[in-house]
Order: sequence, then C-alpha cells, then structure tokens
Amino acid sequence: MTEGGIKRRGVVTSLGQGFLRSETTVAIVLFALLAGLPVVVSGYTIYILPQYLLYGMLAMSLGLLWGFVGILSFGQAAFFALGAYAMGLSETWGLGPNPAYVGLMASLVTGAVLAAAIGYFLFSVDVRHVYFVLVTLALSIMVEQITVSQSQVTGGYNGMYVPRMSLLTGASGALSLSKDAAIYYFILPVVATVYSLLRWVLARPFGKVLVGIRENEDRLIALGFRTPLYKTAAFAVSGAVAGLAGALYGTHANFVSPSLGGVLFSTQVVVWVAIGGRESLLGALLGAVAVSALSTYLSALIPNYWQLALGIVFIAVIIAFKGGVAGAVMRVAERSAGRKEHG
Amino acid sequence: MSTPVSVLVDATLITFVFALAALGLAVIFGLIGVINMGHGAMLTLGAYFTWFATTSGVPFVLAIVLAAGGVCVIGVLLEHLVIRYFYDRPFETLLLTWGFFLVATEVIKIVFGTDLRTVENPLPGAIDAGVFVLPAYESMVAVISFALLAALGLILFNTTVGIKVRALAQNAEVASLLGLNIGLTYKWVFGVGSFLAGLAGALISPMLSVDPYIGNIFLVRSFFVVIVGGIGQVLGGTLIGSFLIGGSETLFALFAGQVVSQTIVFALAIMVLRFRPSGVLRAR
Repeated sequence: MTEGGIKRRGVVTSLGQGFLRSETTVAIVLFALLAGLPVVVSGYTIYILPQYLLYGMLAMSLGLLWGFVGILSFGQAAFFALGAYAMGLSETWGLGPNPAYVGLMASLVTGAVLAAAIGYFLFSVDVRHVYFVLVTLALSIMVEQITVSQSQVTGGYNGMYVPRMSLLTGASGALSLSKDAAIYYFILPVVATVYSLLRWVLARPFGKVLVGIRENEDRLIALGFRTPLYKTAAFAVSGAVAGLAGALYGTHANFVSPSLGGVLFSTQVVVWVAIGGRESLLGALLGAVAVSALSTYLSALIPNYWQLALGIVFIAVIIAFKGGVAGAVMRVAERSAGRKEHG
Repeated sequence: MSTPVSVLVDATLITFVFALAALGLAVIFGLIGVINMGHGAMLTLGAYFTWFATTSGVPFVLAIVLAAGGVCVIGVLLEHLVIRYFYDRPFETLLLTWGFFLVATEVIKIVFGTDLRTVENPLPGAIDAGVFVLPAYESMVAVISFALLAALGLILFNTTVGIKVRALAQNAEVASLLGLNIGLTYKWVFGVGSFLAGLAGALISPMLSVDPYIGNIFLVRSFFVVIVGGIGQVLGGTLIGSFLIGGSETLFALFAGQVVSQTIVFALAIMVLRFRPSGVLRAR
C-alpha cells in the first residue's frame, strides 16, 4: 500500500470517530424498531425477517474478515451450511436432553474449528492472499458436493428437514419456537448480541491489531505481533458466527439443502457485504437484509435483470465506492458535520 | 471394461481437456498476473456461442473459431474498460473479474435462457486401436490441446513477441523503460488469453450439456492447475498441473467414489499451494 493510501485512510479514521458513535445510535434505534415491529405488522414480514437477519449475521461474519482484516473469503456459505446441517443432524439423532442446544453448540464449534484449522494451515506460512480466496472457494465446492453425495446422512439433493427448535423440553412442558413471532424474538436478540459482541471485540486492542494487519501487516510483524495467530483467530470467529447463523437458519426455514453451501450462495454474501459496506458491520448486516429482501421482491418481477443490476452495482462499488452504502453515508455525514464546524 | 490401458487413456485425455480449459488462465493469470475469476464465464460464453452458431447452421469448425473470436472481443473490451486501470492492484482484479462473471452469467441467462443446451458431437465415432478404444472427438481435442500448448511455448520462447511478453511478466517497469508499449502488450496478452478460454469452452461444449454455470466446473480447477504447475510455466506447468488435478482424479476414481476422489485432489492441491507455493516444478 502506498504512503498516500495510508494517509488518506488515517484522515477517514479520525473523521470516522463521530460516525462510530452515530453507528451505535443507528444500531440501537434499528434494533429497537425491529423489536417493536411485530406489534404493528404480522404475517409474511414477521415470518421472513429473521431469515434476512440471519443472512445479515452471515454477512457480518464476512464483513469482520474482509473489512477489518482485509482477508476475503469465498467460503462463508460453507460454514453456514455446515452449521445448518449440524442443527439438522442433532435434531434427527435427538442428541442430549434438548438437541437444539447441542446443534447450536455444534455449529459454533464446527465453524470455529474448521476455520481455525484452515486458517492456521495457510496463514502460518503466509500464503498469498489469492490462494486463501481459492481455498475458501474450493471449500464451498467441497461442502456442496459432499452434502450431495452423502445422501444417507444429509438427504442429498433433496435436502433435509429440520424441525423448529424448542427452548425447553421435557416434563415441565415444551417452549417451542414454532410460532413465527416466537422465533422472531429468539433470533433478533441473538443477531443483536452477535453484532454488539463483534463491535466490542473490534474496539478492543485485538480489533486494533486486526485493522493494523489490513493497513500494514509488515509493520505489525516488525512490532512483534504474531499476525498469523491474529488472522487465524479472526477467521475462527468469522467461521463460528457463520456456523451459528446457519444453525438458526436451518431451524427457522425447517430445511437445509446442499446449495446453501455452494459457490453461488457464497457469491451472494460477498455481494451483500460489498454493497452494504465492508468496513461497517452494520453496513454488512443491512446490506444483506436490504439486498435479500429486494431480491425476494424483484426476483418475482424481473429475475434476471435484477441479478444483472446487482452484478453491475457490485462492479461499480469495487471501482468507485469502496465503502459501499455505509461508506457513502459516512462520507455525507462527515461532510455535513464538517460544514457545521466551519460555519 | 476398465483395463489398465483404458484407464491410462482416459487419464491422458482428461489431462489434455483440463490443460485446454486452463490454458487461457495460464496466460492471463500466469503471464500478466490478473486473477481472472471470469475465466469460467469465458468458457461458458465460448460454449454458448458455439451452440448458437451450430444451431444457426454454421459448420462446427467455423463455429468454434467464431466463438473464440467473440470471447476474445469481450475479453479485450473488459480489459479496455476496466482491467487496464488495475494492473498494479491484482487483488482488485479478482473482485472485478468476479463481477464480470456475475454480469456475464446473467446476460447469458437473458439472451440464451437457462435450459440445458446440447452441441452435437461433430465426430461421434471411436478409433479402435486394438488394445483400447479412443473416442474420436476427445482424441482430437487432446491433439488440439497439445498443439496449442506447443504453439504457445514456441511463441513465448522463440519469437520477439515472446521475449516482449516474458519481459513484461518479469518486470513491467524495466520493460517499459526499454521501449515496450506495455499497455498494448497487456491488451494483447489478455486478448489471447480470452481467445484461448473461448476456444476451450467451444471445444468442450460437445462433451457436456451447456448451462449458464458450465464454466464454473473448470474455474477453481483451472486455478489449481496453474498454481500447482507453477505460475508462468505455461508449457510444462500446465501439463503437469492438469495431470495432477484432472488425470489423477480418474486414477483415484478407480478406488473411491467420484466425490471422494475429487476431494482428495482438492486437498492435494491445497497441500501443494501451502508447501510448494511456486508449483511442483520449482524447488521453491
């Protein structure tokens, strides 16, 4: 990276201080509005919103990696699908007193361990960035093909039924989340918590090191940081978040199929994050919610042209608006704030 | 049915098909460092153009040339409009060419539809060589693939154009100081790579059913072929890489299922790019 690039980024970061606070405000308002939503609306919106929020969680798992560490993964869908299958298998096999919790734990652990293993394997010798992207892409392909071929376990192409989870089971009675509003109020706090935790982690010294790796990894190595471990940890967190999102998605949608882990879905995640804004977790979350909601709506009207428009917007974002929508909003906010200070 | 000889024949044929599919990437990624994630889309475009031309009554040989030419034009346009501004930022080319893949795939769906298309096999027969039987068309493709590799090697290592391209690959700045028009050379190399990708898609189209994602089968494999063989090793690297990625899968498939053998191949490729990041040919 050139000296000019760092300088420019430095200015943005210092100007971004105000935005950090305002991002928190926006996030609080947003989650509060979402919490109140089922009071005013019901039906399909309440059914489908948790699904979009889980896509948003998946997008945050990539946003953390791509936006803050500067590592792009084309394999987030693989962790998502593995999480969903972990949930489905745990329910099918009836593991533990409440299989749902076993499934959630398993999805977290699977995502974290697999990502940590792949991450350490590659980061410890500092493989080229491109190679990491290719390996994650290959991971998506492998997960899709293995889930198709192991049909006696996964149901193959036809996918697998996943029941809605229950918070409690047993003699004291079951607290099932089969009602749409019930699972809405389960998934929303989970997504909000994951968002807050990720924001917290990124505000800690650990997060600063991650951003330092993005900006100038050599300098951090010179300062004595063992960057492969940091990168591995970031990827493990990212894998765990994606896996958990997948497990919740499985139980919400009642269904898992191999295409959930495939290359095309992984691509979608990259598009969401690029458009929403890779350097803002809220941007990634909202990017996923907005684009997937629009996709559902417009796919019925103009399926191909909508995807084409997305592709063109993606290219435009890469060429001209690196920060996506969140970055553009931030720039406008900074400009108006700057004007107020001067005026 | 599957005698050792016939398995070897299969592995050889598949090696050459993979080499053909990877050749365009070996040129664009291997020589000028553009991480062309649109390589799969270029193969798909080549296949669709061939389908369109043959169903419109164009003879097959002319159809594949037209298809490759069409993909070449699209590739040069892509280079001219977008890629040329990003040669110093290879990682951005990954994202941009992935965007090209997204756009190209949707345009294909809009123009040609999403139904499976079939291109009639122009050489349906088989050559009986006594101990084994060679499928005629696949054998011809293998011969073309070998000829293209040889031609590319000759151009790169025995002509002035080749010297210029290798100079560009080695050090673009010095090459430009020595008077090489690097902008134009980049464009030429990108055009030739696109042409080869289109030609590969065209030649492969009669072997598979053509759908908008047909090129994706070869995208990651082609990258592995180029990396495992060694970036920039257009001739030997592509052949060795193709054997390890494509041909060996046939051998593994003797003992295990197709998915398992493919997983083994991917795992081996990942091992190579971790432990021998500059390819199996080079010591390091």
